[in-house]
Amino acid sequence: MEHERDESSGAPLLIPHGSVIVADWHRCPDSKEYFSKIFQKKRRKTFGLLEAPAMPPQIHVDTVRYKVFLAGKSGVGKTALAARLGGSDIPTMHYETTGIETTAVFWPVKLKDNGQVLFFKFHFWDCGENALRRFDHLLPSCKEKMDAVLFLFCFTDHGSFEDLSNQISRVSHPSHRIVKLVVGTKFDLFMHTDVTEREIRTFQETSGLPVFRVGGDVNAGLGEVAPLLNALAEHLWHQDCVTASCAPLSSQV
Amino acid sequence: MLQAEGVQLLCLTASSGVPLFTRGSSKQLPFSVIGSLNGVHMFGGGQGVQLSCCETDRGDRVVWRVFRESVMLIAVSSSGDHTVTELQLCRLLENTWNCMVLVLGQEELSNVRNVERLKRDLRSCYRLIDRLLDRGEDESVMGDLTHCADCLLPQNTSLLQEALDAFTQASESEFGCLLIRGRVAVATEKWWRLVSQEVVLLSLLMRCLSGTTSCDYPVFLPVGSPTVAHRLLRFQLIQGVDVCTLCGPAPSLHHSETELVGRFWSPLMDILHGCLEQTQHSPAPSIALHPDILALLLINRESSRSLSLPGCHTTVTPQDAPPVPSTLRRWELLRLFYTFAVTRYFTTGEMVTSQADPLQEDFSQGFCHVPLHCYLVTEECKCYGLQTPQHQLFLLAALSMPTFALRSVATQTLTSITATTGF
Repeated sequence: MEHERDESSGAPLLIPHGSVIVADWHRCPDSKEYFSKIFQKKRRKTFGLLEAPAMPPQIHVDTVRYKVFLAGKSGVGKTALAARLGGSDIPTMHYETTGIETTAVFWPVKLKDNGQVLFFKFHFWDCGENALRRFDHLLPSCKEKMDAVLFLFCFTDHGSFEDLSNQISRVSHPSHRIVKLVVGTKFDLFMHTDVTEREIRTFQETSGLPVFRVGGDVNAGLGEVAPLLNALAEHLWHQDCVTASCAPLSSQV
Repeated sequence: MLQAEGVQLLCLTASSGVPLFTRGSSKQLPFSVIGSLNGVHMFGGGQGVQLSCCETDRGDRVVWRVFRESVMLIAVSSSGDHTVTELQLCRLLENTWNCMVLVLGQEELSNVRNVERLKRDLRSCYRLIDRLLDRGEDESVMGDLTHCADCLLPQNTSLLQEALDAFTQASESEFGCLLIRGRVAVATEKWWRLVSQEVVLLSLLMRCLSGTTSCDYPVFLPVGSPTVAHRLLRFQLIQGVDVCTLCGPAPSLHHSETELVGRFWSPLMDILHGCLEQTQHSPAPSIALHPDILALLLINRESSRSLSLPGCHTTVTPQDAPPVPSTLRRWELLRLFYTFAVTRYFTTGEMVTSQADPLQEDFSQGFCHVPLHCYLVTEECKCYGLQTPQHQLFLLAALSMPTFALRSVATQTLTSITATTGF
């Protein structure tokens, strides 16, 4: 994981890992009672829209919700990433997503300055590229009130890496602040990788966006998704603080 | 399940025979065979003969059908033991075509301008088509075969109905439906006016999407709106309970999700949990079945709705008693018995059957009356079917039930279910 500060590009500031929230909190013993609430029978629990992690009544935890759009060329693994982050089974077959599908993911986070614990509720919005092309109303719907975008490329498909700049210009809107992160998928297939480390470094330097790598073992537990979810939470929280001039809980529901 | 039985589905352009896709069975047919299958159909066409089905002496079956003079679908079963019936294959072709229309719209399928592009676009139908071929955990779902909506009868339906009607109205729609465990629990009046195949298809789509929290899917309705897409908005309220509406341009998914869902459904949270729990073992918990009943399928012919109930008979039997089929096998047997009964005895004009098939007994042709009851005793179970103007009941009983008792048990079961539930 690399994070770089690039103030010249005008992109939202990139904040170093662990500066806003407690890094790797899921490994700390005091996080256990919060993380246990997102599990059921040793598997990640999926939450319907009316559901939320059930905390004991004496502990009050605020939930902050964010809409995160997954953008990327067809076949890079947007649906698989949403499933991975949500802790559900990754589809064994690749099927095109022929509309918008959203996945809600709860993620407990401890803020660094005051030690407050929050549940971040990410709504990952995933829409197939071909559907976006065929139906004009889908992209505006995905962009409506979004707080962050994950731009995906796939390590085994150089075309998807080249497509990133397209994706970024299509989704970004200069007037409103959104968090942007880049995720390289299928990193486990590095034997067949089509995208070199040097290219990624250059991309990070020019775009000012951090690049994350996912792929491989889905049974590795939270360690596998924690870096990305924590970074997303950190960036979103930071952005909210900046927007609301550091007034906390700006998007509390 | 069809996949396991070696069913392969081929799709070609009707005019030129260019293969568009094949799905199903892992062992693909060689290109030359596909070409011959198309060729023999085309040859028939040239002679003014429409080839619809054939059966080999090894028990393999091929079914052809051309849709809108543009797309030909061929289903080939190579299980070799007659277990995949013609009706199942015909249904498979119809359902596949409907899935293709649902996703792509009729226009694109009827006027093929660019075959390569169509091939690419058809990939977006694979998820639904594969689900038709391999029904996975939907073993008790019969809608693909019966073309009747698989339903569920929870208690508190009036409260659910009220909430659904209000939610649908707030979504600027008249079409709304609440599914519990992938079966229709309540639906708005207009939803029930959709053609039953569409209701079945939309339920199938929603089961495919069940892992996600919400969806906004453009869908064409194969009969109701084959050229103009609507938006299917689906929300997972709690795990296992989904609500959906068919909408126009508004409201947006984000708006519905953040504003409407909570407002209309949060107050019913406990009731929804209750329904989910209640229906864990049976879609109609209020019904007590005869202990020897293994499974049953009840169809309301007027409303095109169906109810498939598992029996309470356990698979654990005393040592000297004959073995009882597993739960999975019961549903298979019920499908087979349904097919047997509707193709031979409970035939209606709508049913696609080749009456002239010389390999089948021509019993039903010799009579001008419509049979009301039929039964079948096999090595695995006993089956009984009966029909009234409003209902059809297909019942599977354990071998331990005396054959002479089947009729009265079936009749009583039908009366008691319809009386207690009004189904």
